[in-house]
Amino acid sequence: MQRDVGSLPLSPALRARLLAAGFQTAQELLETGPCGLSKEIGISREEALEALQVVRQECAGDAAKTAGGSGSTRKCTALELLEEEQTQGFIITFCSALDNILGGGVQLTKITEICGAPGVGKTQLCMQLAVDVQIPECFGGVAGEAVFIDTEGSFMVDRAADIATACVRHCQLIAEAHQEEDHLQALETFSLESILSHIYYFRCRDYIELLAQVYLLPDFLSEHSKVRLVVIDGIAFPFRHDFEDLSLRTRLLNGLAQQLIIIANDHKSAVVLTNQMTTRFGQNQSMLVPALGESWGHAATVRLIFHWDNTQRLATLYKSPSQKESTIPYNITVSIPLGMEIQRWEQSFGSTEIVRGRQT
Amino acid sequence: MAAGVVWVALKGHPLGVTRHHCSVGGPMGMLRAVCPHGPPWYPRVRYGTPWVPIPSPHRSLRFHPRSAPSHSAGAMVVLRAGLCPGLTEEMIQLLRANNIRTVVDFVSSDLEDVAQSCSLSYKALVAVRRVLLAQFSAFPTNGADLYEELKSSTAILPTGNPSLDQLLDAGLYTGEVTELAGAPGSGKTQVCLSIAASVSLGLRQHVFFLDSTGGFTASRLYQMLQARVEDKEEQVESSAGPLKAVLIDSVSAVLSPLLGGRQSEGLAIMMQLARELKTLAKEFSVAVVVTNQVTRDSSTGALKSALGRSWSFVPSTRVLLQGRAVPWEDGAAPHTACLAKSPRQPTGMQVQLDIGSDAVQEQRPVTPTP
Repeated sequence: MQRDVGSLPLSPALRARLLAAGFQTAQELLETGPCGLSKEIGISREEALEALQVVRQECAGDAAKTAGGSGSTRKCTALELLEEEQTQGFIITFCSALDNILGGGVQLTKITEICGAPGVGKTQLCMQLAVDVQIPECFGGVAGEAVFIDTEGSFMVDRAADIATACVRHCQLIAEAHQEEDHLQALETFSLESILSHIYYFRCRDYIELLAQVYLLPDFLSEHSKVRLVVIDGIAFPFRHDFEDLSLRTRLLNGLAQQLIIIANDHKSAVVLTNQMTTRFGQNQSMLVPALGESWGHAATVRLIFHWDNTQRLATLYKSPSQKESTIPYNITVSIPLGMEIQRWEQSFGSTEIVRGRQT
Repeated sequence: MAAGVVWVALKGHPLGVTRHHCSVGGPMGMLRAVCPHGPPWYPRVRYGTPWVPIPSPHRSLRFHPRSAPSHSAGAMVVLRAGLCPGLTEEMIQLLRANNIRTVVDFVSSDLEDVAQSCSLSYKALVAVRRVLLAQFSAFPTNGADLYEELKSSTAILPTGNPSLDQLLDAGLYTGEVTELAGAPGSGKTQVCLSIAASVSLGLRQHVFFLDSTGGFTASRLYQMLQARVEDKEEQVESSAGPLKAVLIDSVSAVLSPLLGGRQSEGLAIMMQLARELKTLAKEFSVAVVVTNQVTRDSSTGALKSALGRSWSFVPSTRVLLQGRAVPWEDGAAPHTACLAKSPRQPTGMQVQLDIGSDAVQEQRPVTPTP
């Protein structure tokens, strides 16, 4: 596609002169050359040379994107996509009702957003997912690693250790029940130390660090190709305080969303974000809605909203391309310390709960 | 030379009808129609036969721009050597000395005077002008021919959703750009998927789906296709039809980071994309469907499509989809679609959409209306 002269990053005065002289596309500019250009428009030769350099850079950038970026703008038929999706696994959440409404668990290559009021269990679910992504394939997991980007400082290593211990215990019970060769083999490498060593933790203190981290993430992911989950705990926090220019915020968030989509697609990993809630005033009532505005709502493909109904926690699937909207109740259970965990995993569609470890 | 005044309506020109001064006669008997302004949508046409039926002053003509894809030229093109055979460098220098720099100047000037003042051969000038007109001017046709051509090239594609078809006056028209706007979770991707399913299954034609949000789920498309084929036992063997539908899910996801702030070229990129989409729709007679976000109007608080006023002129039909505001509080409030802009139906029409049901809908392929 030919670049229009009006869309090139030149100064407006120069652009106006070029358009008045009759140049339409970048190709025409490059063909004319600096001498011809300076004669036609009446600018000095140095200015013409500078302008042509800018044009050349832009066109080279575009060409590189279309040629080398064929991985990101890939073309395939729906049938190929269907086969890919059917062989892809899900990251289970160990809460079977939640897995049901999500269609099996958190999907790879999609962005899932979890919104909720404080204290409703978002960080708990993120830590659970960071452990669950490492479950070996013979137990029904994805056998990947996790990247955890923390902006609020709510990641507690001892809680993650408790969750990991409970997960290992659960897999051991399954292996004892089935007594298969590959189960026992997988269990040798699946231990507390290996789980914790495969969670890559980044701490970002403000929005600039967060943006830099996300833009540098593709390089990190190409080195660690086993990463299957990227968690950003608290994407609203750095953007909500101290931001005067709201249109800049919208633009940054949109760019961030596109970058996350690229990461999710190129590296076949799931991206999970947590968001805060804010109040919106209706006609005569106020309601809690997810923060960061309307345009951010389009960034996530799947949206889960955790909320309270008196004392019962509820999870609602608000936006999903393949599942219907539904609401389920869930609980966060406390496990008893000193190594004795209450195991309430049930293999069928029972009521399994998220185990939350707490040291007293 | 008799001079007649002809009322000409330029297609796509925002000023509507412009009066042109046309002269008839001369050695070639051509009808000269020159567009002195630079319209935002440059007519790019190929000249037809050299003998054009001279219209009577009372019959209204329509310019029928048919694109010549190799030249994206406007009327402001500078005369350069090699622009057409016979236009040499010395000719250009002589013309420039007489203040004739662009194609418009050349074509609208009196060639006899030019031949005298520049001491160039009149025949050469006339030959050059004929070639330039062939490249840069519009070819007038009358409304009846245009209507016939439209009848034979336009198709109406059913969307797979009967209430949406009712809103769109039987379906998506090829040659036009349709926009679906809505808040997150209002069903835009679902409607796009159902259009893709209906066109590829019902009409057996290829669909081009451009996804920029990551929302395309092949398993959901498979579900929709299965629901439609349930009662028909036949298997679709091969879709042999040409491309008729281009669906772009979220054009605003890629355009909104470019707009605003100190980036002045964002608007130009958006307009270039708009031009390419419209040309695609018209030239290849495909139906282009784009999805857009919504923003809140600061004065009234109502929802309107994103990307601003400039984009609002691009699609010819705009549908606003609305889901439930706060889904976890209310009961079941269904999805609605409201017509915000349409060339055929009254705006403000609202229908209820049935998204997410796997019920089988019998779809008859709609034939073009006679």
